[in-house]
Amino acid sequence: MMNVRLFDLTTLLFGVASVNYVAALYGKKDTLARVGTWICIAAAIVSTAAIGVRWAESYKMGIGRIPVTNLYESLVFFAWSVNLFYLFVEWKYRNRAFGAFVMPIAFLTMLFAFTNESSIQPLVPALQSYWLHAHVITCFVGYAAFAVSAGVAVMYLLKARQEESKTVGGVVGFFPSSKILDDLVYKSIIWGFPFLTAGIITGAAWANYAWGTYWSWDPKETWSLIVWLVYAAFLHARITRGWHGKRAAILSIVGFLATIMCYLGVNLVLSGLHSYGGT
Amino acid sequence: MAEDKRSQPVMDKVWNFFTSLKLAISVLIIMAVASIFGTIVEQNQPIEKYRQFYSDATIRMLDALNLFDMYHAWWFLLLLVLFTVNLSCCTLDRLPRVLKVVRNPKTTLDDNLEKSLGLVGRWKKKGSLDAWADPYAAAMGKIVGKPVVTRDGETVHLYAERGVVSRFGVYVTHLSIIVIFIGAIVGNLFGFKGFVNIVEGQTIRQVATPSGTRSMDLDFAVRCNKFSLTFYTDEHGHQTQQPKEYASDLSVLENGREVLRKKIVVNDPLQYKGIWFYQSSYGQAGSASAQVAVLDAAGAPVTTLLLYAGQPVEIPGYGSVTGIDYQPNYQGLGPALLVSLEKPGQPPAQFWLLQNRPDFDRQRKDRYSFAFGGLSQAFYTGLQVAKDPGVNVVWVGCTLMVIGIIIAFFMSHQRLWIRMAPLADGRVEVVLAGSASKNRLAFEKRFEKIQEDLKAVGV
Repeated sequence: MMNVRLFDLTTLLFGVASVNYVAALYGKKDTLARVGTWICIAAAIVSTAAIGVRWAESYKMGIGRIPVTNLYESLVFFAWSVNLFYLFVEWKYRNRAFGAFVMPIAFLTMLFAFTNESSIQPLVPALQSYWLHAHVITCFVGYAAFAVSAGVAVMYLLKARQEESKTVGGVVGFFPSSKILDDLVYKSIIWGFPFLTAGIITGAAWANYAWGTYWSWDPKETWSLIVWLVYAAFLHARITRGWHGKRAAILSIVGFLATIMCYLGVNLVLSGLHSYGGT
Repeated sequence: MAEDKRSQPVMDKVWNFFTSLKLAISVLIIMAVASIFGTIVEQNQPIEKYRQFYSDATIRMLDALNLFDMYHAWWFLLLLVLFTVNLSCCTLDRLPRVLKVVRNPKTTLDDNLEKSLGLVGRWKKKGSLDAWADPYAAAMGKIVGKPVVTRDGETVHLYAERGVVSRFGVYVTHLSIIVIFIGAIVGNLFGFKGFVNIVEGQTIRQVATPSGTRSMDLDFAVRCNKFSLTFYTDEHGHQTQQPKEYASDLSVLENGREVLRKKIVVNDPLQYKGIWFYQSSYGQAGSASAQVAVLDAAGAPVTTLLLYAGQPVEIPGYGSVTGIDYQPNYQGLGPALLVSLEKPGQPPAQFWLLQNRPDFDRQRKDRYSFAFGGLSQAFYTGLQVAKDPGVNVVWVGCTLMVIGIIIAFFMSHQRLWIRMAPLADGRVEVVLAGSASKNRLAFEKRFEKIQEDLKAVGV
């Protein structure tokens, strides 16, 4: 299928971009990073086209539906979101060091997608609903924001260690100041949190419409609540108790681990109503 | 806070405990960690299922901790109560203070306030105080909002603010959680969940509770007219094994009269008098029957028989027919039924009837011939039944939550003060100070810009 070829190309572009960003940090060559940006933009165009083509191809097969309904599709959609969110952050903060920490997440996601069944399957009756669009899109924008936050949190921890030891230079020397990184860890989360909230709510509304119960403590629901609670704790600690720096960064990383568990772990490890994404 | 702890009355201590953010963060983290257990131990399974995974000792321990129905355990509910109390106390504790600040903003920039603000700029302007007061008030009006002007002897204070509502975002969010809980409690107290299977053509007036132990009366009846199951077709137009739609054609009856009829599918339920019916499952009701038309020698229909496997049906004055076997595709000729015909005083004869060739049996050249009309199978539809009078309250809470979070994170209460006083050399000293409740890095930049603009006033 055409769309899968395009996604393969996207994987390649994400890989090259990641290598560029990492090499730019180590080789201290900004040109490489600038090339990385253009590759990311190209990847954004190719992957957006791929999603569109896949959507169109599903219509041609007579099962037309938004391509976010199995593990392969959700992984590529996640990588697509991460890439776009990253480009936004890079543009907004005019710093390309983030790329070395965020783009590998998109690349690894695509590699994982690569190992999954990529054919277009018709939609089971339970997923035939307009809520699908709102639910999946809000959740994944949230996940992407949390991914960026965790990537930046790792950068923060490295940068803070360097600043503490009063050394300069090295790869970490190219990072933005720890103050900016710390702020970005927070900023990404305040974008992710409302989207996750909306994702949980649209999921509840949909569940109510499909099963007559908006909340049934199914593992997926519960894990989304766990993720929500962790970030709620982060925000309270940050805003009212002034948790900055290291503790906030670690909490952001913990939050993203919970997000991965919610997104993939539940389907691959646990069982429940929400098993669609796992196949 | 600075006072001696021992002298605090007990009530104050209790209050301080419930209004502390440490408690809030702890409860959030504890709830997150506790919730994990219920996703690892499968909830509400029959005991036999647990025996497959755990030893008896482990089962006893997990049961003692209520981990098989964790989210309804007393300790988990207690956690939710603690969470709600903490949330309410924090709100009651802080909201009045915020209201006070919002209602009585500090409109003059005195020395103490100036020292407490991180963003302060000062410059001098040639001319009298009266000459500058109005232009600055106008400039401020353009930048932030119409300022409050306070004249204190030889000093003029200007104060303007925007985004006051952002102070309330967090309280709207907290309130929304309480609203959602209220909705959930209302649903639990006044609603119910149930389940019912209806065989095609049959009518029910009762539904079973999920545990199946009790049944609930409905004050109307529901009939399943038909259940249908359709499959996707592949690119050659052949039917695949992938289900495309489960649909039940339902009628609601009041006093035997149909008042509502709807075909429900998954994701499109039927609602009547606040009770919802959701397509949930289906199954075969009873065994399949074969339709066989009996034709006379001229080929005119005489009667139609319904044959169940192995059960003979009598044709008066002729013999008895029994359905023996069914093949969906008999020797490439399509669906076929094997019947056995027993006439009095004759040995039974077996022969195939082809659905696609209704005249095939006329080759027997008998008084009657048979035409196989197809196999029919009655289904039952499984419906989830729910009544939840609290659900709309929950949606109100959810909407409030999204609004509250957006206000809390994306709006900022920005305040700006200007103090102008004449100096001995005939110039006017202008002091600008500002603060923002959120996004301070961005406000710092904005403050720089405001300062540049204000310095340039009148130039």
